[in-house]
Amino acid sequence: MSTPVAQSPSFVSEDASRPPMVLAQDVRKRFGRLQVLRGINLAVEAGTVTCIVGPSGSGKSTFLRCINHLERVDAGRLSVDGTLVGYRMRRGKLYELTDRQICKMRADIGMVFQRFNLFPHLTALENVTVAPLRVRRPPFSFRHPIRSHHARRAFKEEVRREAADLLERVGLADKSSSYPSQLSGGQQQRVAIARALAMKPKLMLFDEPTSALDPELVGEVLDVMRGLAADGMTMIVVTHEMGFAREVGDALVFMDDGEILESGAPRDVLAAPSNPRFQAFLSKVLT
Amino acid sequence: MQSDQSTEVHEPIKAVPVRHPGRWVAGLVLLVLLAMVTNTIVSKIPKQNGQPGTQWRYGWDLVRQLIFSAPYANAALLTMWLTLTAMLVGIGLGLVIALFRLSPNPLLSGTAWTYTWFFRGTPVIVQIFFWYNIASIYPTLGVGVPFGTVYWHLNPITLISGFVAAAILGLGLNEAAYMSEIFRAGMLSVDRGQIEAAQSLGMPHTLTQRLVVLPQAMRVIIPPTGNEVISMLKTSALAGLVGLPELFYQYQGTAANTFQNIPPLIAISLWYLLITTVLSIGQYFVERHYRRGVAGVSQRRFGGYVLSSVFKPRRRGGMWDVTSDSVLVPHR
Ligand SMILES: Nc1ncnc2c1ncn2[C@@H]1O[C@H](COP(=O)(O)OP(=O)(O)O)[C@@H](O)[C@H]1O
Ligand SMILES: [Mg+2]
Repeated sequence: MSTPVAQSPSFVSEDASRPPMVLAQDVRKRFGRLQVLRGINLAVEAGTVTCIVGPSGSGKSTFLRCINHLERVDAGRLSVDGTLVGYRMRRGKLYELTDRQICKMRADIGMVFQRFNLFPHLTALENVTVAPLRVRRPPFSFRHPIRSHHARRAFKEEVRREAADLLERVGLADKSSSYPSQLSGGQQQRVAIARALAMKPKLMLFDEPTSALDPELVGEVLDVMRGLAADGMTMIVVTHEMGFAREVGDALVFMDDGEILESGAPRDVLAAPSNPRFQAFLSKVLT
Repeated sequence: MQSDQSTEVHEPIKAVPVRHPGRWVAGLVLLVLLAMVTNTIVSKIPKQNGQPGTQWRYGWDLVRQLIFSAPYANAALLTMWLTLTAMLVGIGLGLVIALFRLSPNPLLSGTAWTYTWFFRGTPVIVQIFFWYNIASIYPTLGVGVPFGTVYWHLNPITLISGFVAAAILGLGLNEAAYMSEIFRAGMLSVDRGQIEAAQSLGMPHTLTQRLVVLPQAMRVIIPPTGNEVISMLKTSALAGLVGLPELFYQYQGTAANTFQNIPPLIAISLWYLLITTVLSIGQYFVERHYRRGVAGVSQRRFGGYVLSSVFKPRRRGGMWDVTSDSVLVPHR
């Protein structure tokens, strides 16, 4: 099975009325003279988990970063939940989004990084609450000062409560007042997941979330991700954990040198990889 | 065999320590020199006939008379006020210029660059005298259309009361150029991953700078800012040259009246040292505040810190240790 969107795998529930959560059509990206993405075609249906594997430098991170517009694509179309990323189409012409519109779009997409990137000067709880409190909080209204004050206070309380719930969900209820430097790598990554979830995203991007962890800490992070998948979150996961991909993934995508060389249901493609580069990659990863 | 070894291991090592005769000799020489200098400091000038004199060589009686006199105490207050006000101007404006400089808007970053280029490129004393004489080129200050009608104007002398404003503007605007570079260096030292994490959460640029970048940059910003405050304390002596009655101005007055130079110099030096000490202690507390969340830094109390750095002089990270790596190296 190869790249074009038309052949998008049949294992995902076909709901014709709903656009895919992520739709990439011939997405290209270059850094200077280095062509990093050479035409990516991919459809990710809502509620599914797509795992991306591939050798280092193949453009996996770059593709993820394009999805929330941390990088801007050079050519092709990339849309999330039916809306173009970074641009707006009006009367057949593309317009760049304003900074504000881009922020709004990013707020709906969670991202988890290989190096956690927790805010070191904030406690675990503050890490989780800072974005919703500052980005989603209703503005103060001078026309209805008392009402808006109460609304804002209620919102703050709610964010705190939800953050505490999220920390509990990732198994860190007792660490809410710890600073990141006082937590293990696995705990930090779980806080980072809670931080992303606090914005109530409709899509979660994971960029090698367990690659910086000691082996014995990988499991706790994967468990949290497994739970998230079971709850129906749409996820794109760049990973080297083939077991996780096989067990949790609805789709497995192999990228090499800026291209998708193989994709399909994880069990199928792992059992019978057709592309020789994928076969070579698997033989290295699985031993 | 096994038990043999373990008993050996548990026995504390007894070895003859290396002798350092050189250290003893150097220490002795220093001690003698120190005694000689101390002698001159606390001695009186002998009379012509060899009798013990009544006149302190360092004029300590005049120092004591001057140091707590009303003009000197007021001058010390004025020096402190001048330092803090000029620093506030410098820090506030410096932050704005740094934010401009790092802004994606080329007009803003160009403006910031030009500002820094100009104010760093000319001597402070020239700038102070420039502001002092500003009325000669702009007798009035107005708001209106360029080359057109002036709608509103006022006399700069009423706006800036002569030497005070000249000193504050001269010192503050110059300081802003240096502070902006300190802010910029601090903000650039924050890991890019932090900015990306904030962006991925939907935080706009300004919010990211305020909530994520600046608080982390503070650890890098504060030590050189402490330097700047102390440096400003001493640079503020230049304000005496346009007639502001601060410490250095008082020295000039005393020297002119009494023909004594050293005692008033000692008096104002003691004031400068006292203020520097107070500022250093303040810096310690500010630094501690911004070390929140940094690995391996305990939130010890001040007293404990001083005691431990006095009694265990080898341990790094005490408040006097300017090379302390916990300050400049980003965490982990
Ligand atoms: N900001 C950048 N500037 C220049 N080159 C980059 C940049 N980001 C990534 N690259 C290059 O793009 C290629 C793909 O990188 P990346 O997407 O991180 O790969 P992967 O995540 O699959 O390991 C690499 O060769 C990398 O050096
Ligand atoms: Mg990567």
